[in-house]
Amino acid sequence: MNSGLSYRRSWRANRGLFLFVTLMACAALIIASRVGLLTPFEDAFAAPLNAISAVFNRVAFRINASAGELAQLQALQRRNAELEEALAQFQAELVELREIASDYQRLADLLDYTSAARSMEFVTAEVIAFDQNAIFRTISINRGTRDGIAVGMPVVTRQGLVGRVIQVSATAARVMLVTETTSSVSGRLQTTRAEGAVFGAPNGNLIMSMIPLDAEVREGDLVVTSGLGGGFPADLVIGQVTSVRPAENGLSQEAQIRSLIDFDTLEFVLVVTNFQPVDLSVFDQVGRN
Amino acid sequence: MQTFVGVLLLGLAAALGSTFMPQIRVFSGMPDLVLLLVLSMAVFNPLERAVAWALIGGIFQDMLSIMPLGASAVGLVLMVFFIDWVRGQVFRIGLLTLLGVTVISTAAQKIILLIVSALVGLPIRPLETAAYVILPTIVYNVIFLFPVYWLTRRLSRARAVPKT
Repeated sequence: MNSGLSYRRSWRANRGLFLFVTLMACAALIIASRVGLLTPFEDAFAAPLNAISAVFNRVAFRINASAGELAQLQALQRRNAELEEALAQFQAELVELREIASDYQRLADLLDYTSAARSMEFVTAEVIAFDQNAIFRTISINRGTRDGIAVGMPVVTRQGLVGRVIQVSATAARVMLVTETTSSVSGRLQTTRAEGAVFGAPNGNLIMSMIPLDAEVREGDLVVTSGLGGGFPADLVIGQVTSVRPAENGLSQEAQIRSLIDFDTLEFVLVVTNFQPVDLSVFDQVGRN
Repeated sequence: MQTFVGVLLLGLAAALGSTFMPQIRVFSGMPDLVLLLVLSMAVFNPLERAVAWALIGGIFQDMLSIMPLGASAVGLVLMVFFIDWVRGQVFRIGLLTLLGVTVISTAAQKIILLIVSALVGLPIRPLETAAYVILPTIVYNVIFLFPVYWLTRRLSRARAVPKT
């Protein structure tokens, strides 16, 4: 008993050693986790935590939706008027686009070409958590390897591109959002076909950079994935241009993009399961050699 | 505070941090409930126990994050030792002292996470993180410290009541 007490006292007295041992334990945890030694433990313990988070998330969305409904009634009325006006305009455009689509269909049939979007296979997943660590913008979904999810698969909603799978366990996966500052997607302006790189801005918006100076960029232009780089299929909607300005280096243009998705209130997403991202890293190694 | 209650609170804080808190995000900043809870627990508990809370809280956080297990615990453990050092410098750690510690700890915790991220090969943007993550998180943490501190104090006092 006495030896136990004196042992504890010696621990307290030697705080430096205590701190060192604790930090070494943390470092060992980090290394073990990084090399995958803790994966079974992480999977086992993450499962109940994800289940709790999923329940909390549903409650959070309900509360958010209820509060939002009351607060946004006036805004919705205004928005409704705007949408009615836009609808009238779009109906006119729809007639024109149907004509173009029928022309396109005839040409595509001739070439025996199948649209990529139509051949996509999806797995629906529920968003169960947002990243604890505010430094990175990722979400967790309730589908994993058991559902055919793999690293690199694109994640979308009906409104457009959400991100791509970066980590996967048996029952859950982590998705890096396109709004993450370190994420980069090859984009294309739908009207002028000008290409650029879309990445997340620190304020949660999107920026399309490296647009050629001579390319015409207008507010409201739709930005879609170009498919360049092989990371994402082509023609997934990324967002709409809200403003454009020359880049700081003066060699290209930079556009602010607003995604049609509210990433903070995502509830369900679709994982594109039949898209195989192209691994170009082998060419980097060849280049270095 | 009883171990079971502490673990439950930390788990709850981690779950809230990844569900409710992103709904009130300002830029990329949101309240860090686990950090606040660990800091408050460190005020009312001995060092060994507070270190255990820091490790458990950090692991919970990393379970719900892209970070490797143990990454968040590094900062939390250092902050617990910082509180222990502050305790030796002042007569009593009150709410005002804890407010100051919270501001320093929030910034330190995020900077430590950035360093760990860089060490394990995750891409980082330090200046943007400072402006869009650290500053709003400090403001949020200062606001949320009051209810967290109140709750932890109540739980600690309930535990401290001697049996008759």
